[in-house]
Parts: sequence; structure tokens; C-alpha cells
Amino acid sequence: MISAALSIITAFNSSARPPSNSSHQSHSFVSYFSRIKSPSITRSSHFSATGSIQFAMADSDGEYVADMSDDDIMDHTVTDGDPSAARPKGSKPSKKKRDRNGSKAWEQSKRTWETDLPEEDDGMLNLAGYEAERRRRLLRDTTPLQRGIIRHLVLVLDMSFAMAEKDLLPTRHRLTLSYAAAFVREYFEQNPISQLGIVGMRDGVAVRISDMGGNPAEHLERLRELEGQDPQGNPSLQNALEMCRGALFHAPSHGTREVLIIYGALLSSDPGDIHDTISNLIADRIRVSVVGLSAQVAICAELCSRTNAGDESQYNVAMDETHYKELFLAATTPPVNRTKEQSTSSLLMMGFPSRTLAPGGTTSYCACHSKPCREGYLCTRCSAKVCRLPSECPACGLTLILSTHLARSYHHLFPLRNWVEVPWAEAGQSTACFSCQSPFQEPPKPNREKGKDEAAPAKASAKGVSESGRYKCQVCGNHFCIDCDVFAHMVIHNCPGCQSQSQAVPVGVDGVMAEANGNGHANGDGVMVIDG
Amino acid sequence: MDAVDVSEHYEVTSVDSPPSLLSIVIDTNPRAWAALESRLSLSQALSNILVFVNAHLAFSNTNQVAVIAAHVNRAVWLYPTAAAAAAQKPPAAARDHSGDVQMQDVSAETNNSSSSASANKYPQFAQIESSVFSSIQSLMAETTVQDLDQYTTQLSGALTLALCRINKASQALSSSDTTLSNAAPVNSTAPPPVKGRIVVISVSDSEPSQYIPTMNAVFAAAHNQVAIDTIALAGDSTFLQQACFNTNGIFLKASNPQGLLTYLMFGLIPDTEARESIITPAHDTVDFRTACFCHGKVIDTGFVCSVCLSIFCEPPENAECLTCGTVLALGNYGAKPAVLPRKKKKKKKIANGSGREETGSATGTPKP
Amino acid sequence: MSNNPSLHLAEYLERLPGTTFKKLYQQPSTAFAIFRRMLPHLAKTFVMRMLFMPHPMTLNDLDVWVKPEAKRNKDQSLSILRGLHIVQISAPSKEKPQEIQLMSNFKRSLRLALTGGGNHNSFGVPSSLLIPPEIDLQFLDRYARKKWEDVLHFVVSSVGYKSVGDGSGPNKGVKELLIAGRLVDRRPSGGLGITQAGFTFLLQEANAQVWTLLLLWLDVLGNNKGSGLDPVDMLSFLFMLASLELGRAYDTNALTEERRNMLPSLVDFGLIYIPQHKRSMFFPTRLATTLTSGGNSLRTISEGVTAATQSAQASQQSLGPLSGGGEQQSGSVVIETNYRLYAYTQSALQIAVLALFAKLNMRFPDMVAGRLSRASIRQAINFGITADQIISYLAAHAHEQMHRTAALTNKPVLPPTVVDQIRLWQLENERMKTTSGFLFRDFTDDKDYLDTARFSEEIGVLVWRNDHARMFFANKHEQIKDFLKTRKRAE
Repeated sequence: MISAALSIITAFNSSARPPSNSSHQSHSFVSYFSRIKSPSITRSSHFSATGSIQFAMADSDGEYVADMSDDDIMDHTVTDGDPSAARPKGSKPSKKKRDRNGSKAWEQSKRTWETDLPEEDDGMLNLAGYEAERRRRLLRDTTPLQRGIIRHLVLVLDMSFAMAEKDLLPTRHRLTLSYAAAFVREYFEQNPISQLGIVGMRDGVAVRISDMGGNPAEHLERLRELEGQDPQGNPSLQNALEMCRGALFHAPSHGTREVLIIYGALLSSDPGDIHDTISNLIADRIRVSVVGLSAQVAICAELCSRTNAGDESQYNVAMDETHYKELFLAATTPPVNRTKEQSTSSLLMMGFPSRTLAPGGTTSYCACHSKPCREGYLCTRCSAKVCRLPSECPACGLTLILSTHLARSYHHLFPLRNWVEVPWAEAGQSTACFSCQSPFQEPPKPNREKGKDEAAPAKASAKGVSESGRYKCQVCGNHFCIDCDVFAHMVIHNCPGCQSQSQAVPVGVDGVMAEANGNGHANGDGVMVIDG
Repeated sequence: MDAVDVSEHYEVTSVDSPPSLLSIVIDTNPRAWAALESRLSLSQALSNILVFVNAHLAFSNTNQVAVIAAHVNRAVWLYPTAAAAAAQKPPAAARDHSGDVQMQDVSAETNNSSSSASANKYPQFAQIESSVFSSIQSLMAETTVQDLDQYTTQLSGALTLALCRINKASQALSSSDTTLSNAAPVNSTAPPPVKGRIVVISVSDSEPSQYIPTMNAVFAAAHNQVAIDTIALAGDSTFLQQACFNTNGIFLKASNPQGLLTYLMFGLIPDTEARESIITPAHDTVDFRTACFCHGKVIDTGFVCSVCLSIFCEPPENAECLTCGTVLALGNYGAKPAVLPRKKKKKKKIANGSGREETGSATGTPKP
Repeated sequence: MSNNPSLHLAEYLERLPGTTFKKLYQQPSTAFAIFRRMLPHLAKTFVMRMLFMPHPMTLNDLDVWVKPEAKRNKDQSLSILRGLHIVQISAPSKEKPQEIQLMSNFKRSLRLALTGGGNHNSFGVPSSLLIPPEIDLQFLDRYARKKWEDVLHFVVSSVGYKSVGDGSGPNKGVKELLIAGRLVDRRPSGGLGITQAGFTFLLQEANAQVWTLLLLWLDVLGNNKGSGLDPVDMLSFLFMLASLELGRAYDTNALTEERRNMLPSLVDFGLIYIPQHKRSMFFPTRLATTLTSGGNSLRTISEGVTAATQSAQASQQSLGPLSGGGEQQSGSVVIETNYRLYAYTQSALQIAVLALFAKLNMRFPDMVAGRLSRASIRQAINFGITADQIISYLAAHAHEQMHRTAALTNKPVLPPTVVDQIRLWQLENERMKTTSGFLFRDFTDDKDYLDTARFSEEIGVLVWRNDHARMFFANKHEQIKDFLKTRKRAE
């Protein structure tokens, strides 16, 4: 039966080279695949080792067509009813302004200079659309959510034959490595007290790339070493997941346990039943999210949905390079804690050492690397010297951390509220952006009312864009320009207006919290709630 | 191809050194300045700062300055000011094709006020001076008695304003057609188009309630490669010390406030470019201790809620986090296999006398 | 040779004796302008640090300021500072360590410039008269551009390309000056021909061209004792012009007699404008007010900053380029890796210049397109233009888009392939490059040789060395001479 399954696979996807049976005699061969490059519904066939064919209809609004041929696969891309309804929830429905339904994905131009520039009919660049796109990226749910701040994440990179494809330029493999490096940097910037490990999938086995650790330099170093290797062999989801399970086994219960898989292939060569592994993952409270590079794969959808308590947004398929990067880096934001059970909260004892110079310019050895250094941090409990933070005291095991590391995560817990567009009617009260002092357009004169009415419908098409170019913080009422809006929400996480006026501080809803940490409320934050 | 590139003078690079935007944040807490009055008055300090500003502008005609006051209850722009911008903004018709802004109305105005002085002063310097002095006067005039109750200043706001401006300036310089992907806040290795720098002249203590916004600003500065330099004339500015450390800035504690000009001209004149070759004052000891959320005590070892990262000096009552209300497990989940049996003596050592052992940290070897 | 205009000025200044500098630095505006214009960044930092120091400091202290890896940079900065007579360093002696301090004149003047005060009037006395309404920035820019293009047209037209210049050509005095400066020379046939110096001049950017012409002018007047003009005072006046405010009227009556005599020539160059019916006021044009801007920084970056911050600046000086629409200065040339060249310009002048070394094959209302080819470069080389000049011209006039892309990707502004190829084309018939300088040899011992060679390398004058033969070649010798002297004395 195995050979039968193989033949079907090759019929569907001639580029997917069947694995050599000789090297995987003991493995049953399992493949999961569906339409190529379609961010649409999941309709996948699942060939098990016994040869019985199951159909995993994770999210299906269509019906399985048994005699699916190549042509049919193509056809369905177009004929599935409402594509936005069928799209995985994770990718936002209004992702691209342009209509992707008219032609196949591979017919669409991949050149960024053609696709990313919104053009109006007359060939002029529609900058309102550009601004809308920037704005759209900002607008997200700002309900303060309880998030897993102390994270333990394993990044699983596909290094199988499928990564040699060149549909993402230069190749999937190269692009993945460069994004992975960006991911590592961003991850540690956003989550300074978290841990990361990297695992690769190749030749049917899982390869350890870097161990769980908190030092970005080490991970980056290992990633660089990979650049010389060519991707080869089959990926094995199960092997990789088992290795992740092992790596996360020791993660303390107060932190999150996450796996992020970058999956380029449409098949997986596994030694056993992957459903058992999924059950084990659930038992170990490990959440898995997957970024697919080719097509929706049923088992991935199932994996994500089951390990995330039914939430299907954790599985996404990248449509192009930009989208891929967006999906990849989205995982740097700490995940929302869905239920109280998902992570046991606990109180951690930590030391906040101050930085000291060895007296008189002398050097001494640090306890962590045994390297001579002039400056360091003394453990607050046992006074052992460590050279960099955050770390665990090598002598007494106390977690040593800079208070700034904690502070870096606070903005996830207390996000800045979105600002609202300002209509022309209110625009008169400001002439310049509050924070950067760049002048705004002047409001149109009343006698030009007519012209304005004509222009209004055209403007209205770009959602989220303020007609007056002003954006208002609802707490302090100041007006800002789009650049400051983006900067304040993406980088600084402060409202310049609220921070500049102590009177404008509203009274927090949660009195205890306001008193206890006294932060954030000036930021227009609310109470932290637990989702679900 | 590489062989050709090796030869050194075969490349024509853009040799322009990027312009430098210096933002000065002046702490204008009236109470603190009154305390300093005998040694250095605010107006003296301002003149010293203006000389420093002029020195920065003298470096290159592309250099820019912004001056912000961190007052007790708000942060305001001293230079450039919105009012001045509005006055300067010409009617749309007065712009010529090149987009150059017409200046004659302003020069006509300044003509009356400063015509006598300007023969001996570089025109740009005179403008900044008059703008700063007039804005600070109006700021002081607007200060009410109630405001004086405050001991601290709106530092986080001032830093945020300064960063927004630096961001805006660098955005205007970098190509306008950056693709959307570049707009995402991902670490870029390319140097920023503007060398931003913030100098804080601090006279008052750090306000604990501003810790988070201040730190947000500090991280944003570090992200944009903006250095925050501080000169502390008085007060205990722990946050600024951490800010300087995190952004590779210079922290100077001025023991003699009279010598402000010397501190500024000597310690803070090298900008980020010069710092590549000049040795900057080292941060010998940086206070990284933190204040607990429950009593406001400064502690070096504390307990952290794993959900909201609140810091406590002792395990809260009922094991319930005071901030987020989560019930916290106090178990010794992370305990490493202990070789030695626990001793009574050690209990006191940990946990500031709480007597609780189960803090999650490992049971290490006892202290000698 | 070099595209850096401040170098020409630097060479000129270096030739001046110390007493001249003393006189120059009397004026705060001059001290300020030289500081801003002539010094590298590190040297500026040094000066600012020492400015308010009451006492001289030892050289050793200065060494402590600087990171070890930047020593070379420091030595170069110091040597420039000494060359411009801004610092003085005491002679080494046994009992006292070497000390460094700012020249008192310079120190006083720069302090005055920064703090404002004194009664030196060196930043110009504004005219109290009413400004004629028709004189605005646009007018001044148009005026300056017209004047300057006249000068350039005169030089270009001598190449033989028919210039489409509409003007009557520059004033006779300017023509004489150009001939005296050997930018163009009279051919036996009676016509005028461009010289290699003329090509160098043409291919420079505007700011450098202005300086070249002004320095020529100073030279000519300096040689002509009868003119009654003191070159030092003139130089000082030029620096003062640079610190004036654009669009503002200044009083001619506040100027000395000699300076008033200079005004007509400056009008000819287009540096200042004097209204016909109000002879007692003058307006500096952008050519004058940007004299002390760093040559390159005139371009896009400052514009960008200005655009970004201008609106908010109370009334800062507008830093825009020379042009009020002068395309040629704002950078308009795009060159691609395939040697195609596009120039967004309507200026007949710039097209003529481009035609010197590129084969232009299309002309549109607002742009020309062409390509660099072996033949076109060869032709230019036959004219006497060097590859370096072409490259620096392209770099100086590169379109702002090219600068942006270069800055974003951290790559050179011009495509390296093109730059290399232009040089290779030149090398085809020029296998040699000459550097004038001095050969040092016959050292007494190895140590002597090594120390001197190292010193010359540190101050950046070393061109070639051969350790085996104990010889090295340097393009300047003054400081090496001093070094050798002090060595001898110390022994």
C-alpha cells in the first residue's frame, strides 16, 4: 500500500520527490498536503501507513472530490465561495488591497515594486492607500491581556528538500535563515527574560541546532553556520516535536512552552503515529504554531488547533516574502494566556544586582565563563561575579536580572490604546503635530464646502485613514501625525501627549493595580483581562 | 569582481556625515532650581546650555537642535515652538517652486527686536536664544502654586517628545519609498540617517510612577540608536542612570553645579561620531536595584509575579499578586537537587525575613 | 585633483604665514567659519573641549582622551589644527612635558562667536533701510544662478561646443580673471581654449567652483600690490559673508573702505546683490551664505532635514541648495550599472558638461539620456579630463535617489562596475600617475628611519616606503622637517 500512496503523491505534486524507501524502511510514510499556495480552506487527504485513506476536513466548506486531478486542484482555488470566510483566521481578511481571486497565485506578480504600490486608475500612486496600510498594521486589539511573558520557545526550521524551492527569493532556505536571524534578535529584544532553542528537520530526523538558552549571540552564531548547508532529505514533524518536547521538559511551569515550526514541505516522514505525539504535547502544555510555506497541510492545522485549545489562528501559510516575514516575526509577541490552567502562576525569587567595576581598575574572573573582566554584576545573595545578565547565578542558582529587563516586557501587558481619526470638523484645534511639531494641513475653508463633498467619497475608501491627517489620543485629546502614530505604537509604546501632561491621567479602573505599580494608566491602559 | 573591489580607491561612497540632531531636555522643576539658586540659577544655567547649543550648531550647518522643558506637570517645547512655527508658516502662495520657505516676514520681525544684537551674533544663535527665553518665561508665568507641590518632573513625556522628533527627522531623510516591510520595527543594521542624541539636564529625583513610560522611552531610544546623555546637577536620578547605560550614553554627576558649562563642553560635546574615537567617561557603578511595588522599598533581591512581572519585597499575603490578583504558586518548582540538607539558618537569609523557602530559586550551597 | 573643495582652501590657507592667521582670527566670524568649514570632526571636538579651559594641557592628557585605535585620526586632526595655527604646542624639553593650547586669538574669537557679545560687528550690520519688495529669496536665487551660469558658460563655450547661453557672458573683469587663472587660455588662433584646470573647475560642484574662483581672485589681487586690497582682509570678509543671513539687507556703510571696494567684484561673481537705486545696502546670495557649508552636505541631506524640521524652526536659515530650482545643484544624474546615464535637467550648461564625457542620444523636455562608452570616455581623456574628475563629477551630481539607495543598502553611490570601468578606460593609455613630493633617504640608522616613516604615516603624508632601502616618499615635508629637528634636539 505504501507504494500506492506514493504514486498518488507524485501525481499530485510532481515536484515532491518521493523519499527513498531504503533509508526509511522502518518508518511508515505519512503525507499531508492540499492545494498549492492557496490561503484558502483546508481540504487534505491523509494517507496512513495502513493504506486506509482518511480525510481531515479541519475547516472545510467544500466537499472532497475523490478523483481530484491536477486541474481540479487549480479550479477549486477559484470556485470556493467566499474566500475571505474560508481563509485561516490568523491572516487578516483585509490583508491585501488588491483582489487575489481573479487569477492564480502564481500568476500574480511577485515583484514588490508592482504589488506593494497601490495605484489609482490614472496611474498615480495612491498614497492614501499606503497610509491606510501603515495604519492597518497599527490597529490591533489593545485590550490588555494576560500574556506569557516568561517564554520558552523552540524554533523548528525545515531543512528538507522542500526548502530548496525558489518560490521565495533567493531560496526558501536562505530566506528562512535570514528571517530566523531577525527573529532571534527581535525575540530577545521583546522577551529579554525568555529562552530560545532551535531545531532543524532534515534527512528524516530532527537536528539540534542550538540548545535552549538566553543568549542571542549563540543562536545567531549557530544559524550562520547553517548557511553553508544545503537543505536535503525529508522533514519529520514527529521527530522534531519529540525533540522539542524533550527540550521543553525542564521548562518551569510559570513560563510558556511554545514551538514555532517553519514548514516548507507537504509531507512528513514519521516513525510512529503523530497523533500520539500531539496528545503528549497537550499533556505537556506545549503550544505549537506553524508557518507554512507551500500550502495548507491538514496535520499542521490539526496540530495547531489541538495544542492551542481549538484556536486555529496559529497556523498560517505565507503568501509572499513580506507576508512570510510578518507571520514569522509575529511570534515574537508574547502569547496570550488563554486559561488559568495553561500556565501556573508563581512567585519567582530574583536578584537585581547593580553593575560594579572592580576596584582600582583590576580585573577578576567571572564565575560564569571564567573569563577575566573588569566590570560585572555581583549576585545579590552569594556575591559571585557574573559578566552578563540575565543569567542564573552559577554559584547559588538565583535568577539574576536587570530591572530594565522586566520593564522591557511591560508594554506587552499594558499596550497603548489606538488613536482615532480626526474629522475635519475637529481638526481646527490643532495646527501642528503635538509631538514632532510638523504642521498639519489647514482645514478647508467653509466656502469650499462643495469641493470637499466631492472629495469625500474618494477619501472614504481608505479605511482607517484620517481625512485631516490628524490622529487623536482619546485620553489626552492631543492630535498627532501618522508618523508619530506609527512610532508611538510600534516602538515607543508611550503616548507623547499623556506623558507630557500629568493632569490628564485618568483614574484607573483597577485601583489596586494603579496603586501597586502606578504605571501605565497615563498610557491610556485599562485592566488586564484574561482571554477566554 | 572581488579582485577589483579590493583596491581601495575604486569606490566612491557618500562621504557626507549624517547630520546630528541634538535634543536637550531641561528639567525646570522650580523647587529644585530654587534649592540650587545659591550655586547656579536657572537663567545662568540656560545661558550655559545655550552656549552648548551654539557649539553643537557650530559643528556643521546641517546640525539641528531641539530644546524641551520637562516641567513639574507637563513637558513643553522650548525650541522649536508651535507658535513660532505657525507664525513662520507662510501662506501657501508664498512658496516658490523649490519648496523653499520664504523667510522675509520673520526677518522683518526679528529686524525690530534684535537688529542691534545681530551684528555681533550668528543669526541662527540669536533666534534660538530668543525662542528659548521667551518660552521659558511663559512657562514659568503659567506655573501655579499647586504645581509647586510636585517634587518631580514630567521626564518621560519630554523624552517621548524628543524621540518623536528624532524619528520624524530620520523618516523624512530616509527614502520615502521604503517598502512596508521596512516600516516594521525590526532591528536594522544600517546606520540611521540622523545621528540623534538626547541630553538631559536633570535637577530632581526620578518619579517612581514614571518608571514604565520612562523605560519605554529608553528602549525606543536604544532601538533607534539614540544615545541619552545626562548631567545630574542635583537629585537622585536613578532612571536616567539606567537610561544612559542602556543607550550607551554618558552619565555625569555634577558635584559642582557652577561648572555646568565645563561639564557640558568637556563631557558632552563629543557626539556619536566622535565617540568612536574618544574615550567616554565610564559608568563605574550603575544602580540597577529596583523599587518593590508593595512598599516602594529599594531592594536588590525580590519576588516577581510570573504573570505581570510585578516586584515585591516579600511574598504577598494569601499568595495573591497585588497587581493582577493571580493566585501564585509558591512552590519550589525550580529546585535543583540539593546535596546539602536545608538548614534553618539559611531560611532567614533569603526572602528578607519572610521565612519562606519556596521561592522557586534553587536551593544552592549555603553561604560560608 | 580632488573633489573636496575645502582642500583647495586648505592648501591656500596652509601657505599663509602665522601672522596672517593672527589677523584672520581677530574676527569671530572668521574663526567660526574656519572652525566649521576646515576642521575634521574629531578636531572640532578637541577645539570645543579646550575652548573653555583656562590653562594649557599636556599632550599626554590629550592622548588619554583618545581610544588607541583612533590614534591615527587624532594625529591627523592635530596636524591640521597646527597647520591652521589654531593650536600651539610647546617645544619638547626635558623638564616640562609638551603642552597644547588654543591660540589666544582664535580662542577669544570663537568664544565670542558662541556666546555672542563684544562689539566686533563681524556678523554683519543689517541695513535699517526698507527692503524693496521685489527682492525675495527667489529673486536672489535667480540672480545668483544667472551670474554663475554666465561664468560657467564662458568656460564651457571655449571647449567648442556651441553653448546655448542666453546671457551676454560674464563681466570683462571676470573673463580676465579666468584667463589669468589659466582656466581658459588664449589660443594662437585668437580664440579661447579650455585648459585642464578648466575641466577640473567645470566638473566641481558649485560650492567648490565658487571657492576656486575666489581663491584665484585673491591670488591675482595679492600679486598686484597696487590694488590696495589686503588679501587677508578680503579672506576675512568672505568668511563674514558666509555667516550672513540670506534674504536680509546689510549696510554697506558699516564696511571699511577696502571692503566696499571689493563689492563690485563680488557682484560680478553673483555672491552679493546691490539694488540699482539703493547703493547703500547689499544682499548676500546663496552662493555667499553657503560658502562655509561642507561641500557635499549642501545637498540632499540638509534639504531633507530642512524639510523635516524647517516648518517648526522659528526662522532658521534655509539650507536649501544653491538653486531655487537649479536642478544641477540638487543632483540630477542617475547612472546605472549598464552604463546608461539619465540626467533630469534642462540646463544647457549641464548638458554641455555631460556631453564632454558621455554619448547623449536622447533629449526630452526635462531630461537627457545617454550612455558612457569607451569612445566617449576616451574622447574626454583626450580633452585632458581625468577619470577621477568624471567620477567625482558623477558622484557630486548623483540624483538624490541614488544617495538614498546607497545609504539604505550601505553601498557606494555610484555603481562600482562603472567607476572601475571608467578608470580602466583611462588606464588603457595612462599607465602612470604622478605625485609630487619628497624622497627621504640616507637615514643614519634603522630606528631613525622607522620612526620618521611611522610619523609621516601617522600624519597622513606617506605615499610610498621601502623598508629595505630605508627610503620613503611623502607628499609634504614641513612637519617631517620639524619632526626631524625635534628629534635631533632631543638627542
